[in-house]
Formats: sequence, C-alpha cells, structure tokens
Amino acid sequence: MLRFALVVALASAVALGGTPALAHFDAADRYTHKACPASAANRIDPVNVVFMTWGTWGRAESQIESHAGWTASSGSAQAFTDHGSCASMHTQRASGHGSRFHIRLRGQHADATLGWTALAAAHHEDLVLLPLACGHAVDANGPAGSGFDQGRDELLRRFTDAGHSSSRVWWGNTQSFKQCDGDYAGSDGWTVFIQLHQASHP
Amino acid sequence: MTHPWSIAAVTLAYGLMLVGSVSAGGGGSPAALQSFPLYNAGERVDGLPLAAVLRREDTAHFVSFVYGDCVAGDDAGCAPPAEIQIWPSCRRNLGLYDRVQSVGAPAERISVRGVPALLFDDGTRLELETGQSTAVVFAGTRARVLRIAGALRTIDGTVLSLRPLPQPTRGQEGGPSNC
Repeated sequence: MLRFALVVALASAVALGGTPALAHFDAADRYTHKACPASAANRIDPVNVVFMTWGTWGRAESQIESHAGWTASSGSAQAFTDHGSCASMHTQRASGHGSRFHIRLRGQHADATLGWTALAAAHHEDLVLLPLACGHAVDANGPAGSGFDQGRDELLRRFTDAGHSSSRVWWGNTQSFKQCDGDYAGSDGWTVFIQLHQASHP
Repeated sequence: MTHPWSIAAVTLAYGLMLVGSVSAGGGGSPAALQSFPLYNAGERVDGLPLAAVLRREDTAHFVSFVYGDCVAGDDAGCAPPAEIQIWPSCRRNLGLYDRVQSVGAPAERISVRGVPALLFDDGTRLELETGQSTAVVFAGTRARVLRIAGALRTIDGTVLSLRPLPQPTRGQEGGPSNC
C-alpha cells in the first residue's frame, strides 16, 4: 500500500511539474461538462475517481460491474477533457434506474508512472418525483458528505473489499452544483486513485 | 450539513453573519470550536445577486455564498455563475498544495490585496488565505474571479472591499494550527 501511495505521489509531483515527456496523466480539468467545448460554465460533476495501472475504461467498466454490481447503463452523456481536448465519455454504469449510485468514465492518456488511466465522476442520486418530477438529482450535502462523496466512497469500499489498492489525493474541486430539485451538491475535494488489475471479469 | 437556503433563510444567514464567525467543525473538542471570520461579497457582486448560503460540516467544512442562478436538468446539475467558499484555514490552506500528494494542474501564485493566493483551472478558481480563513472563489472567468476577490469583505464590517486583507495566521501563535 505504501509503495502504491508513493507511486501516486510521485506521479502527482511530476504532473505538477509539468513534464509531459515522463507523465501523460492530465489532471488540469477536474470536472465533467455538459457538452464540448468544455468551459467553466458547463461544468456538471466533479471528477472524484481515477482508475490506474490497468485503468482502461473497458477494464474499469468490467470491474465496476463485478465489484460494485453496478450494471445498469442508463443515463445522459457528459464530456471530459484531456490535454485540452474535449470528448464525450466512454461509458457509464449505475446500480439501478431509480435512486442509485452512478458513475461516468472516460479513458485518458497512458502515463509513464500511473499506467493506463481513466477519469470518472461517481455520485449517488435520487429520482425526484415530488413535488415536481425532475428526474435524477445528486444528493445534497449531508452527514456522510454529498452524493458525490457518497458515490466515491461506496465505490472505493467495494474495490477495497475486493483487494484493490487505493489512495486519496486532494484536488480541491469543491465547487457547488445546483440540482434539478433545487438543492446544491459538491465534492469535498478528495479524489481516490484505484489500482485495477489486468484481467477483466467475465 | 449543507442546506440550500431560500431568501428567508438567507436573511437568517445574515443574522449569523452579524456575529462575524461560525463554528468550524462539529466535534466537541475546543479545537473543533475554533471560529473563523466569514467573508462574502455582499448582496450582489459583478451583477449577480446572492442566491443561496450553504454550510458544510461533514467531510468538508465551509460556508458558501452562491451568486447568480442556473438551470439544472434531469441527471445534469449546473454550475452557478459564482461562488465564494470560506473554509477555516486549518482545514484548507495553500500549504495543501506544497505537498507532493496535492495533485492538480500547476497553480499560478499571485498576491491579492496583500495576501498570498493561488489561481487554478485557467483562473476560474482562486484560493487566498487571510487571517484564520481561506476564501475560495469560483467563477466562469479569471477576470470575474479577480473582481469578486476585490469585493470580499468580512460580514462584520471589520475588513472592507478593496482594502488590504489581514495576513494569514496559520502556523503562527494564536493561529489555527489544528481543528
């Protein structure tokens, strides 16, 4: 675990130093966007999970299904950026179709230290039907954190229980986002790095 | 716990503001009762009205002032035009970015009203330390972020807009070395 944390720390330091020849992981934009081109005005969710080592989006999708049991694929599309380029997400998974855990992912550049990486935005959301039906809204901040924090922590718990190494990193992306029920939700600023293994699950 | 407050609740929040500080942390220890000065930009800044006051005391600790509105949809929240979060500096401070683990894009070090500050995310996020507080400003452009930073003032009137801000006290005698 210590070695894993050191790898994350070193990669982070390299990223801060801006030496792309050695590290291609890009954490410059720590939010998802409603569409491209990305801007501060069309941010939707905070990025709060990074899959690494064998963190291709396909492996991440497979292992989310296996370890968390989130197999539903419904939901709207969002966009991520990587080295200044904006593109739609690769996939999404959820724990159901009503009130649920939900995560969107996009594979990123491979990194010399972190390996294959994928950015993800996880959250818990309620299906709001009353007083006005508005659809899915991320849980407002509460004792267990916001819906963003709850989604991240639930995913982390499932992967940790399955033996995956992880590390928490301060990203500071705590901007609040208004939800369709009128509540606000935001990340507590911590992002988890989760190590994936090579083998996909059946 | 965070609550989006309606206008009536915002009024209540201003009652809180008159006190000039809030409790940081929900624990029972003396450190948890450490207070920190609150700053905002008044009832309107850069043409944006104060729309909500939020408070978190869970996995994050801050009071937030949301300016302007946006339209959220099904499965898609929206970013308000501007937001000011005030954290106790013992919880959030510029020192977090000195540590190797504190990843992110390279920040731009600047000085705002005489205190150290960092700009992130192409200038759409500013963090500055003043006294026992850390102010975090989010807005759509660097120019708007800096205008809001210029408008920051303590809610008890001890620090006025555009005037020099108190120097950070984190790590100094009497400063909030821990929460």
